[in-house]
Order: sequence, then structure tokens, then C-alpha cells
Amino acid sequence: MNNVESETPALQPIIPAYHIRILEDEQLDQLQSATLEILEQVGIHCPSEKALHIYAEHGGLVDFSRQVVRLPRQIVLEAMSHAPRFYTMGARQPSFDLKLDGKALYCATDGCGVETIDFKTRQRRPSKKEDVATMARVSDYLSALSFYWPIVSAQDFPKTAPLHEIDASFNNTIKHVQSETVMGEWTARYAIEMADVVAGNEQVRRQRPPLSLLICSIAPLAQDRDGLESALLFAEAGLPVGFMSMVNTGSTAPATIAGTLVTGDAEIISALVLIQMAFPGAPVYHSLLPGVMHPHTGDYLGSTLEGSQLYPVATEIAHQWGVPTLAGIFGTDAMVPGWQSAAEAESSLLLCALTGAETGSGLGLVESCMLLYPESIMLDADVYHRIRIESSRLDTSPEAMALDVIKEVGPRGHYLAHRHTRINLRRRQFSDLTGQPRQGGGYRDPLEVAREKVDWILENHHPQPLEKAQKEELTRILNAADREKGH
Amino acid sequence: MPTQYPPLEPLRTTYRLRFLTDKQLDDLQSATLEIMKKTGVRFPSKKCLTIFADHGAQVDWESQIVRLKPDLVFKALATVPRYFMMGARNPDYDLQLEEGVTYFTTDGCGVETIDFDTRERRPSRKADVGMMAKISDYLPSIGFVWPMVSAQDHGVSAPLHEIDACWNNSVKHVQSETVMGEIPCRYAVEMATVIAGSREELRRRPQFSLVVCTIAPLVQDTAGIEGALVLAEAGLPVGFLAMPTLGTTAPATMAGAFAMGDAEIISAAVLMQLYAPGAPVFHSLMQAWADPRTGGYVSYSLDSRTRYAPVEMAHHWGMPSLGACYGTDSHEAGTWQGAAEVALDPYMAGLVGADIVTGMGLSETYTLLYPEQVIMDNDLYQRARYQLMNLEVNEETLALDTVHAVGPGGHYLGQRHTRNHIRESLVRGITHQIGEDGKYRDPREVAIEKIDWIRKNHIPEPLENEKQTELRRILVAADKEICKG
Repeated sequence: MNNVESETPALQPIIPAYHIRILEDEQLDQLQSATLEILEQVGIHCPSEKALHIYAEHGGLVDFSRQVVRLPRQIVLEAMSHAPRFYTMGARQPSFDLKLDGKALYCATDGCGVETIDFKTRQRRPSKKEDVATMARVSDYLSALSFYWPIVSAQDFPKTAPLHEIDASFNNTIKHVQSETVMGEWTARYAIEMADVVAGNEQVRRQRPPLSLLICSIAPLAQDRDGLESALLFAEAGLPVGFMSMVNTGSTAPATIAGTLVTGDAEIISALVLIQMAFPGAPVYHSLLPGVMHPHTGDYLGSTLEGSQLYPVATEIAHQWGVPTLAGIFGTDAMVPGWQSAAEAESSLLLCALTGAETGSGLGLVESCMLLYPESIMLDADVYHRIRIESSRLDTSPEAMALDVIKEVGPRGHYLAHRHTRINLRRRQFSDLTGQPRQGGGYRDPLEVAREKVDWILENHHPQPLEKAQKEELTRILNAADREKGH
Repeated sequence: MPTQYPPLEPLRTTYRLRFLTDKQLDDLQSATLEIMKKTGVRFPSKKCLTIFADHGAQVDWESQIVRLKPDLVFKALATVPRYFMMGARNPDYDLQLEEGVTYFTTDGCGVETIDFDTRERRPSRKADVGMMAKISDYLPSIGFVWPMVSAQDHGVSAPLHEIDACWNNSVKHVQSETVMGEIPCRYAVEMATVIAGSREELRRRPQFSLVVCTIAPLVQDTAGIEGALVLAEAGLPVGFLAMPTLGTTAPATMAGAFAMGDAEIISAAVLMQLYAPGAPVFHSLMQAWADPRTGGYVSYSLDSRTRYAPVEMAHHWGMPSLGACYGTDSHEAGTWQGAAEVALDPYMAGLVGADIVTGMGLSETYTLLYPEQVIMDNDLYQRARYQLMNLEVNEETLALDTVHAVGPGGHYLGQRHTRNHIRESLVRGITHQIGEDGKYRDPREVAIEKIDWIRKNHIPEPLENEKQTELRRILVAADKEICKG
């Protein structure tokens, strides 16, 4: 079927008119000192010979037999001084580039779920590459989404899934793609090759990188070998790389919030230091998503009553180190889209925006980032726009104040017929999910409207495709990777 | 035996967000002053017009429009107290308004109830008011009580029966949003005097207050404004609530709607101060939208800045503010819409420093009571309360010794520090309750269960017998006089 190419709507990042500080300077200093103390005295387990050598060559105190590195305070501060505070994450078209300049919050989908509620049958099933592609196309259409995380795993390509996820993403959105699953040198080399295809040349890849990477640390205080080694390759290629810690109070971190924050921060900083030692000035970001352990189940809970303050606090910690952040947003613990998924999302997203987070991920999944309901992304986008508008400045211009109109109408009148009303009522922003009249009276269920909108996007939105040569090159790379892994 | 009462849990915070710049606040105030001076506000009450005329306002007796010069407005508002006390039946629940503290109440005044037992939808009645007052009495998030629904089984004297039901089921301060007119207000003050014990005590610790709605655009309600004078004279707090709707009863731009609604409120507040200088008054502006397709009243668009900007306008006048939270347009409790629209509200109210705030617990744009909704809204409130608290960063919470002891790659489950803090580490709301199958329960189901528990187990501290009897006597007299009227 030939689909008519459609334009990708312009991005609508959150540009807050206000800012807020949660932690005092003294508290931030206390937290940073504690992180430095952990790095210097306790150390980080780092099961990568390559990484350990880099640390050792740059002043890290390495115990090769235990694979533990301890980092003196001055070494950490010196390495971190090279990390850029601002940089650009590129897209296929420059107008979709993300300028991380501290003025806007750009958001992405969640990832990487493992199950999907099927788009047609509504049956729950393991996720596959087609889901990644489908949701990339939906995300391409939504102005709330500034970049794309492969939202679920391409489990139909078990050995090379991360590369197939990138392929599905690049082929279905012109926006920046950030992988959270590329692990290990082997996979990273192929991923970088794919980024080269989209960028066209090395200069563009470095100046407007179309691909970035997120690596998770292992709490408490350990790094993953494959993760670190793929991160080093990305950094070498000039592609942004971030480290995420998901420490959990009471199980993989102390049962107090401050202790949890510094444990996770030490994991992230140790990795950022490594990257800066190896490639000074490489674009990096900090992502601290502490959870609260459920005492009965041991579950990581991202959205407890007090827990939603933690993600914005983590933004302030990142900025104290002078690096941008990927904030935790959305990522509900709810089992289905509904009251809980909305209840958990809002204040945390607003606070991340007001504390100046540059990027955030997590629209579109439920069950703590595991399950894709196609309509979730529409619901989350609606919430996103509420927060986006909430954080913008109120218009008090003479036109908005409308004093002449008020005088004209006077007491007891009405404004329905006034020209000012006709012009301005159209400018007011209503949800396109709520308040939709149902034929025969009443209002439609917003979830039903959301499902319909997903169907509409899939029917009608076909973003600008990659050039034929680029597509073929990506396929060639994938085939080579599949062959090598024996897929 | 009355239940052991938990202490109140108002929002307390040292964080503050300023939405409007000083210039914006000045511009809005200037616009309000200009509207009051040039356009004027209609007061369809001879008594009110006479008070204005006696104090030098320009009164057009024919059109009943009052025009107020800025100097008169500022002179009158100079006597408005920025903070005051809202007393309670039990002094432990007195609310002293102050910087950094925000007290919440329920929503009101709905007209239908999902029956507590049958779950059928039906018109609301006095027993519902009593039951929800009892539930409000139990919840630490609720600082004072609004009658949540209308006592429709008591006809025109319903408002007095509503406050009777509240005082019989809660020790907290009662604020009515339905008592209207001079005679009903005199009965309400008499009832409040019974609760307080004397007029003097009532003035010192007012256990009753009133919200009066204005009529947009730029009109006061005769019964509302005359009733307000009765309360102001008795020293009871009275607030004025403007509800301008963009595009129908107000300009289709927010700033215009704010300035216009503000003029309605301020003109009424000026009247109170001219009549009873120093009377406690409060400011409340809840702007809404007209659905451009139907003209229907929309409480929540995508743009909810309007919920909080008026709080700053009130403070700019030196008045406390009744902020507007909750009141979803959703038609059912526990829906995505029911949280998407309101989840941010309590957090924002705390951040902007609203003094008192309504209103948890109703659906369908303040008209329908699902009993469980108040528990779900309470859960959102508690999220906000924790988010507004300062984070503790000290030696004990940093736990560096424990981090050293565990080291890289271990776990914290066996640590003494974990044992000491694990219980307080998870504050569990209705979303993280585990069912028999080991999975998390549906929050709405948990909320329904909690309502049932409170109904069965909470016994509010009873009102003394003689006071109950006296309230009944007043109600009988009021029923007779008001119904006759």
C-alpha cells in the first residue's frame, strides 16, 4: 500500500515560566559530599578490565582482584569538570533537534516493556519489533513526545533485539532515538554504524547525534560490564550516553531517602567519571530514579505518596554536578490505564519541569514500565499538555484583560455575541479526550476516545521515510548482525 | 465511646511559587479598580446601596449600580484582617490561618448521591450530609467541613439542616455555601451561638463561616449579600466566590475573567468593611469555561493555571483566599479523567499558599457524590502533602556507615538501619494495597472499603444533649418561619 507522506507536527516541549528549588544549597552540598565519600572510601564494583585500566591510568585506586575502584575526591571533580552542561541531541530534521540548554524539558516514551495489549485483538502477548515500529509512528505524530525510546522489546529477534528496535525507530520517526537496551561492545558497534547511516557523516553524527544511549547501573554500587563497554564506544563516537540508577530503599540502598539518593548518585557519577577520563568533553547525562521498596513484596515502587518528590530532587543533584538529567516521569505502577496512572504522574512531571530537567522519559507504559496499552500514550500525552500549559506564563496583555469588552457588556449582560469572544474562545485549549459528546447524549469514555485516536494516527500519519539507500543500508547492517549472532 | 481522633494534617511547606509577576498583579488590580470605578457592580439591595451611599460611593438607585473610586476601595480594605481564626467545636481543631499552612475541606453542594448501601443514584438528603460530615470528621486531611450535598428532604430550610447535620457529626469548623438571605443567616448565627456558648465566644473563635456566590457578570445576589451582612455583623468569616465562565458570563480571556470576577468579590468585601470594619472576609475566584460547542459549563480544560493565580490576587489585596481544587467533570469516581484533571490541584494550592481550599469528593462538576471519591481525592492530597515537605538530609538519613558496611554488590535487607527505617520508608496510599492474590488491589475498591470502615467504626465526639436540643428547637422555628415566608 502506498501511504501519503505526512508532516510531523512541531514539538511542544515544556518551557516553564517558573522555577523552584527543592533542596537548599547546604543539602545539595551534603549529598554531594556523601557521594564523594562513598566513591573514595567504599568504591564501585566494575567488572570490566578495560574500564578498570582507564580508571587506573587517570588516578583511580583500582583493586583488580576485587574489581573495585575507589575514586579520590579531586579525581572525580577534575573528570566531571570536562562534562558539557549543554549540548544538542539531533533528529533527522534540524527543526526536531533537542537543544539541551536548560530552558525546555523534552520528553520521550517509556521503555522497555516486554508485553503488549495487541492493537487489534486486545489480547495480552509478548512484544515484538512491529510494536516498536507502530509506537514510533504514533510518537512521531504526538507533539508531547520530543524523542523516542523503543517502547517495548523486539522479542521476535531475541539475539539482536536492541538493533532491531533502533531499526524500527529510525524507520518510523524523524525524531531523536535513545536506546536503553544496547549492551556490549559488539551490539554498540552495530548501533553506531546505524547512527552513521542516519546522520550521513561523522560531523553530523557528532554535532547533531541522532542516537543516544542509556545504561543502567547495578545497585548497590556496581556497574555492568557490557553496559560500560558499550557506553565507552558511544562516547568515543560522540553520541550522548547517560547512566541510570534505580536504587531501591531498604533492599539495594539504605531505607532512608537521603541514603538511597547518594548510593544511586555514586553509581552514576563513577560511570560519568569513567567516560570523561576516556573521552573528555563527551556528552553525558545523569539519571537517578530511586524507588521505594514495598516491604511485603520487595517491589520497586516509583510512584508512592512521598516517592514522587524523588525524581525532581534527582534533577537538582544532576545539576549540582553540572550535567543534564534524564528525569523519571510517568512510569506508573498501575496495572491498567486509569485513575492511578493519572494520579501518579502529574506533580512529579511538573516538579521535574520546574526544577529544570532537560529530558524525561516514561510516557505510554503501565505495570511499572512493563506493559504497553496503546491508548496509554494518548492519556499520558493529555496529562503532559496539562502540565505544559500549567507551567507557562499567564497572558495579562490589554487584549487578554479585555477591559473595553467588560465595560461594554456591563453588569448583567453576557459575552456570547462579542467579537472578542469569537476570536478568543477558539484559542482556549480543551482536552480532545474528555468532554467528547456521545451520540444520544452524555459523554464518551476518554479511554475509548484515546484508542480511537491511536487508530486514526496509524491510519493517517506516515512520517517522512528514510531515503531508500539509508533503509537498505540499515537492513544490510541488521542482516550482518543477525548472521553473526545466528538469528 | 468516641473514636480516638488523629491530628489534622494540613499542607505545610516552605516552598513557594509565584505565578504572577508583581507587574501582572498590579495590572490585574488596576483593571479591577477601573471596572469598579467606571462600569460598576449591581447590588439589588436597598440596604446595601444605602450603606454604599452613606460612605461616599456613587450609587445609581435606578439601575442599582454602585461605582467605587479607588481611594474608597483601599480605605475600606485597610480594615480587612489578612489572617483570622476559624474556630471548631473542639478547640484542638481550631484553624488559625497563617503563612505556610493550607487547610482543605470537601466539595459542595452536590444534589445527587450514589447511595452508600444500594449504590443507586438518587437525590441527596440530610442523612448524606451527616454521613459525609462524619467521614470528614475522621480524615486528617480535612481541616473544616462543607455540607457536601443538599438536604433536599428539608425544602427551603435545607441549608440550616445541612449545618445541623455537620455539627452533629463533626467537631470541626463548619462552612456553609448555601445559607442565603437575612432570615436564614440570623438562624445560622443563632445555631452557631449555641455551639460556641455565647456571642462573645463565637466572635472570638467563630465556629461557622459562609461562602456567598456572586452573579457574573458584575452582579450581587440580593439574598446572598444581605445574608453576608448578618454574618459580618456577628464577626463570622464570610467569603465571596466569583465563578466567571469564559465566553458566556466573562470575556473569553483569562485575565479579563479574573479582573471581572475580582471586581465582584472586592466590591462585596468593601461593603462588608464599610458595614462592619475589621470583619473577617475571604476571597475566592473559580473561573470556568463554556464548551464552545454546547455552551456547557466546563470545570477543567487543559489549562488549569486559573485555579491558582486568583490566590495571589487575593493576597495582593491583603485578603485570605479560598482556593479551588478538585471538582472533576468526570461522571464517575475512580476514572482516568477524575485524576488527570485534579491530581495537581492540592500540590499547586500548597505551592501558591492558599489559606483554605475546597473541595474533595464530588464528581460531575460538583454535583454528584460518590462516597469513595473523597478517599481517592484524599490520596492525591496526601501525595501533595509529602511532596511539599522538606527532605531530611542528615547523618542518620545519609546512612554512610551502612553504605560502607554493605559495600558494592551487597544488599541492605539485613541491616539494623534498614530495620529501623523500613516501616517509615513506604507511605502506602490506596494504590499499593496487596490483595489475597498477592497483586495490588483496585484503588477504588480499597476506597469503597475504607468508607465502609469509617462509617462503621468512627464515632465523632457527640454534641452535648442540650445543644442538640437547642439546635432542633431553632430548626423547628426556622422551618416554620422560612416555609411560611
